[in-house]
Amino acid sequence: MSAAQKRLGQVSGHLAGSKSGITPTEGDSARAALLQKNPDDIVVTACLRTAFTKGGRGGFKDTAAADLLVGAFKALLDRSKIDPALVEDIAVGSVLAPGGGATEFRAAALAAGFPVTAAVRSLNRQCSSGLQACVDIANAIQSGMIDIGIGAGVESMSSQYGPGAVTEFSELLDSHPEAKNCKVPMGVLSEKMAKDKNIPRTVQDAFAASSYQKALKAQEAGLFNEEIAPLTVKWEDPNTGDVKEITVSKDDGVRPGITAESLAKIKPAFAKDGSIHAGNASQISDGAAAVLLMKRSTAEKLGQTILGKYVAASVAGVAPLLMGIGPWAAIPKVFEKTGINKDDVDIFEINEAFASQCVWCANELGLDPKKINPKGGAIAFGHPLGCTGARQVSTLLYELRRRGEKIGVTSMCVGTGMGMAAVWVAE
Amino acid sequence: MNGMLEYQTQGFNGYAVKYSPFFDSRIAVASSANFGLVGNGRLYILGLTADGIQAEKWFDTQDSLYDTAWSEAHENQIVVACGDGSVKLFDIALNNFPVQSWQEHNREVYSVSWNLVSKDTFASSSWDGTIKIWSPQRPTSILTLPTHSCTYSTAFSPHSPSVLSSVSSDSHLRIFDLRTPASASNHLVHLIPIHGAPPAPGLPARQSFPPSECLTHDWNKYRSSIIATAGVDTIIRTFDIRNPKAGPLALLPGHEYAVRKLAWSPHLSDVLLSASYDMTCRVWTDGTSNTQQDVFRGGGKELGRLGRHTEFVTGVDWCLFGAEGWCASVSWDQRLLVWDVRAVMGQ
Repeated sequence: MSAAQKRLGQVSGHLAGSKSGITPTEGDSARAALLQKNPDDIVVTACLRTAFTKGGRGGFKDTAAADLLVGAFKALLDRSKIDPALVEDIAVGSVLAPGGGATEFRAAALAAGFPVTAAVRSLNRQCSSGLQACVDIANAIQSGMIDIGIGAGVESMSSQYGPGAVTEFSELLDSHPEAKNCKVPMGVLSEKMAKDKNIPRTVQDAFAASSYQKALKAQEAGLFNEEIAPLTVKWEDPNTGDVKEITVSKDDGVRPGITAESLAKIKPAFAKDGSIHAGNASQISDGAAAVLLMKRSTAEKLGQTILGKYVAASVAGVAPLLMGIGPWAAIPKVFEKTGINKDDVDIFEINEAFASQCVWCANELGLDPKKINPKGGAIAFGHPLGCTGARQVSTLLYELRRRGEKIGVTSMCVGTGMGMAAVWVAE
Repeated sequence: MNGMLEYQTQGFNGYAVKYSPFFDSRIAVASSANFGLVGNGRLYILGLTADGIQAEKWFDTQDSLYDTAWSEAHENQIVVACGDGSVKLFDIALNNFPVQSWQEHNREVYSVSWNLVSKDTFASSSWDGTIKIWSPQRPTSILTLPTHSCTYSTAFSPHSPSVLSSVSSDSHLRIFDLRTPASASNHLVHLIPIHGAPPAPGLPARQSFPPSECLTHDWNKYRSSIIATAGVDTIIRTFDIRNPKAGPLALLPGHEYAVRKLAWSPHLSDVLLSASYDMTCRVWTDGTSNTQQDVFRGGGKELGRLGRHTEFVTGVDWCLFGAEGWCASVSWDQRLLVWDVRAVMGQ
């Protein structure tokens, strides 16, 4: 954009902002403020993910987490055409990798074609690691520490899911009642929460079935094509033992014929009289996602296509046993920061860790069900833990753009009792 | 209106106006061709004479001019804020070229303010998210204060040589005190959310507004801790920086579009002048003229307005000399108007 256009944009921003100031609806003016384009906005110029495949059985069962990451990085460089030498830092969220994955993720960046000057780190905030990675990079750009960075997430649950991911608790931790709750398994505490909060199985199954149906419809209509970068990997046929090369470009968890009635037949997984089962909880999956971030002024200088912008994020702590209510705590917090309310938001991407917690948060916040996960969620296509937060950015921005809508929120609950939420604007 | 004077800045849209602090008959106007979007800038030095307003001199610049400030130490010197990121110092005894040009800002410079107490430095603020402090004698800036946000206005306190303030597109009023040690806070002593702080436990609930770009602010000339701010949300607010968490003292709604410029009266401690995209200049009292209590009862109000401009009004300034109501305004309508606010009060 030329200097004159930018100056004109600035002046029209002053006028647009005040015009909505005259109409007394406060939500409108906050929305207008959010939609303004400023040179110091943090924008997304490329975002994508690999397909998600079933843990232990899917197309990526024999692919290491770092290799998935290499695939996502290569695709991101290819799509954005950015000079890899300009990328100053890469943050990768991952939950299960031993040592946080710090060593192999740095190696993955080098293998993907980044020069040695691109710094890499891994981080772990459980299921929100991918979002935290994007937010950290956005904050680093905002503070002036770096100009261009990548927020990413990856998880190979096929190879790294298991009891080894948590260290044994010390006596001290075990002696503290609230601290001890941090190690209660997800399924067990979600079952307890579903009982405490009185979320009937029928409601959970209906929500889960609709996730499957929405995802199937979206997949058939090709709505995931933009966000998914196909990846060619080696795969061992479990029947014959033959190793062959396959190209994975579709989420394999999405399947037809799932209804609330068919889900009602599945046995509960965590308690005999329980309500949670394999069909209304997130799938165990493998996948990677990456988001390229920079200032609007930088993007314009480099001629990058701007897909949307990052606005703000929030994190909130809740009781470890009620970890599922995280989005309920985090979403109002980010609304307060941005001045918007639920009616200003066009799409909510709320991670479906369990149907029970997702539906409880949505109901408690009074969200319009039509706005939640319009292309389905983790129940239908999987939740590779550290990847999900970065995946939601692609799922959200491409759908907002397709519909011509603007404001989206991504959010998820976080193990040990937290929630995160972020506001994004598509352009 | 009787007694109103006019000067046409032919081909140039007004951006800022400043009375000379040395002569009651000299006015500077910073202006730009093509509404400041693209093209040249022009600094007019105008004289008020018995035959109306006459151009004593003008200086042309490569890029648009957005603000100007007279030197407080040298009666012939004046700085301008330029669209190409430069800050230029002109001597009006010389012709054509600036005596000094500093090219450090990365984007449009939008305001300049001379130090009114020590008189030996001035500040500039830019869309690049920084404030810079300069000495006319030095070839580079003395200090850079980051705001990380498009900074539309900066001003030195009229009461202290080392305190300055800024407002920016992030909806915050910043106060810097250069006596604080150089540290990670970059001399920032207060960061005040103009739209209001989020509700906090233990504090009474306050009216809150969505954040919006703040375009202008000014220090009260009599009460050393009072600052007025205004911008895109059209509301003029006053703050007491002794109690930065208290929120605004007075709210003065009324303008229909964004407010571009505010100036406290040099004569009356409660009177403010504003210029707006709604094409009006308005005179206000913040309600503190009688008792200090008035302001909390919402005693602030509009006293009058000038509706003679036919485009966005971008600059206003008060005459420091003579009778207490004379002021000047400039607008995108390519006119400088010199008028007496007493003539519009109570209309």
